[in-house]
Amino acid sequence: MSRNLLSERATYVVGIGLHPYQRRSATTYVTLGLTAARQALADAGIAWTDVDAAYTGTALLGMGASRIMLSRLGSTGIPMTQVENASASGSSAVAQACLDVASGRSDVVLALGVDKPRGGLGAAPGSAGIENLEGGTVVPFTHFALLASEYMTAHGITAEQVARVALKNHRNGANNPNAQRQKQRTLDEILSEPISGSMTRLQCCPVGEGSAAVIVASGDAIDRLGLDRSRAVRILSSTTRTERLYGPGEGIDAALTAETAALAFDQASIAPTDIDVLEVHDAFSIEELLYTEALGLCQPGEAASLVESGAFDLGGRCAVSPSGGLLAMGHPIGPTGTGQVAEITRQLRGEAGIRQQPHARTGLAHMVGIGAVCVVHVLQKQ
Amino acid sequence: MLLGQRCQDCGRVAFPPDPYGCEQCGATPDRLASVDLAARGRIRAVATVHRHHHPEPATPFTVATVVLDDGPMLKAVLVANADDRAVGATVRGMTVPVSGRLDRPDDDSTDDSTDGDRVDLRFEIVPEGDAATPPSVGTPPAAGMTS
Repeated sequence: MSRNLLSERATYVVGIGLHPYQRRSATTYVTLGLTAARQALADAGIAWTDVDAAYTGTALLGMGASRIMLSRLGSTGIPMTQVENASASGSSAVAQACLDVASGRSDVVLALGVDKPRGGLGAAPGSAGIENLEGGTVVPFTHFALLASEYMTAHGITAEQVARVALKNHRNGANNPNAQRQKQRTLDEILSEPISGSMTRLQCCPVGEGSAAVIVASGDAIDRLGLDRSRAVRILSSTTRTERLYGPGEGIDAALTAETAALAFDQASIAPTDIDVLEVHDAFSIEELLYTEALGLCQPGEAASLVESGAFDLGGRCAVSPSGGLLAMGHPIGPTGTGQVAEITRQLRGEAGIRQQPHARTGLAHMVGIGAVCVVHVLQKQ
Repeated sequence: MLLGQRCQDCGRVAFPPDPYGCEQCGATPDRLASVDLAARGRIRAVATVHRHHHPEPATPFTVATVVLDDGPMLKAVLVANADDRAVGATVRGMTVPVSGRLDRPDDDSTDDSTDGDRVDLRFEIVPEGDAATPPSVGTPPAAGMTS
């Protein structure tokens, strides 16, 4: 049983704001978060006192991050809750905001992603008391290097073809002032500095700090507050699933993505081919190939040649990772999912400037997180 | 041999052994029976690691995704480095002496100076035509065994 409240009460993104993603610095998370939140309020054209609730997506800050930060916008007493879902924390904060508004409990909700990296990620599965054979020898980049090996072997794809994902995403990131990596790279640069298997340094995302805010509102609030309806982007569906058991060759993260996306497409009443602009969890270059296929944009084994042909470039049939994705914009954990929704909103508004996907009407944001979880949002300009 | 588990309710064979319950049907731990799994299977994927946060294993080392003949899929370090041409090859588990502390949460040794008196379970590629050779592991190790 899964009821789509978003089809019952129209729910929109009305404001977005970001603090640029960057390497760890002396900037406090309070400054990071407030920068994004204030920008989002200004973008929406609303006051903090118009906001009914706030969800903070964060995985690394520790407990109680919201109020000490957001009270500096005024201690309005609204409900505030931290949302942790590993890499998908920000996406889950957006999901909670959608639920709040679509259910009618709130009219205007802030979903704010904010994080600062610490020594390690401190992931709970590592302390679950389940010992496996590989111990610490398989960290995320090797997990995905193994999936790259499997993909290349199954489909006769070369390491250079996989690396072209990073070539595209670094090119997109070079045009994004909020990206941690803003440098266009050559294929030779991307193929240098091996890390694990065919994964090189520039095919692995940087984990830095930053913040991204999204303000979610009902149609009633748009009318009541006199907001600009032409800049509002409707959220058609918000779906979350967790991993089931999959057999060898089913590709855990890809199978989970396919299930979560199928539900999202069904609830949004759209087809994968309707997607004009897509932000995927490209923490490692191979992931973009696996997920564009799992999302149904193309057949298994086709994504690499589509990247090569420019079909996923800005101006192509579907712009994938126009922000630069996790590979170039960066992956500060908590903000990543809210940042994706901010980018899709910017694209669907037609406000993305030199990295604008022409005629973008429908977009999708996709994150996966350790554990494993998957969160998908489908947005559309009405 | 590897120590695995078979669920007496749904029949799922799992590796590594799990103290909490069956991931397929939710059976409680008392329904999970220990089962020996042949330390033998086929390589699905390989990755040679060039950067590692721990001195052991020394880089570069190759990790493989292995589908055991008995069903479960696992990841393990290969005895000798290999590339994608090894995909599809038959492998068998073997214990190898290692130096220093292992990169495992259950290795709480503080003595990094010992050399050669500790072992780890790794996999080696079985040469073609040698498929009938039994696994070279003498004693059934649990996951993460140290000596």
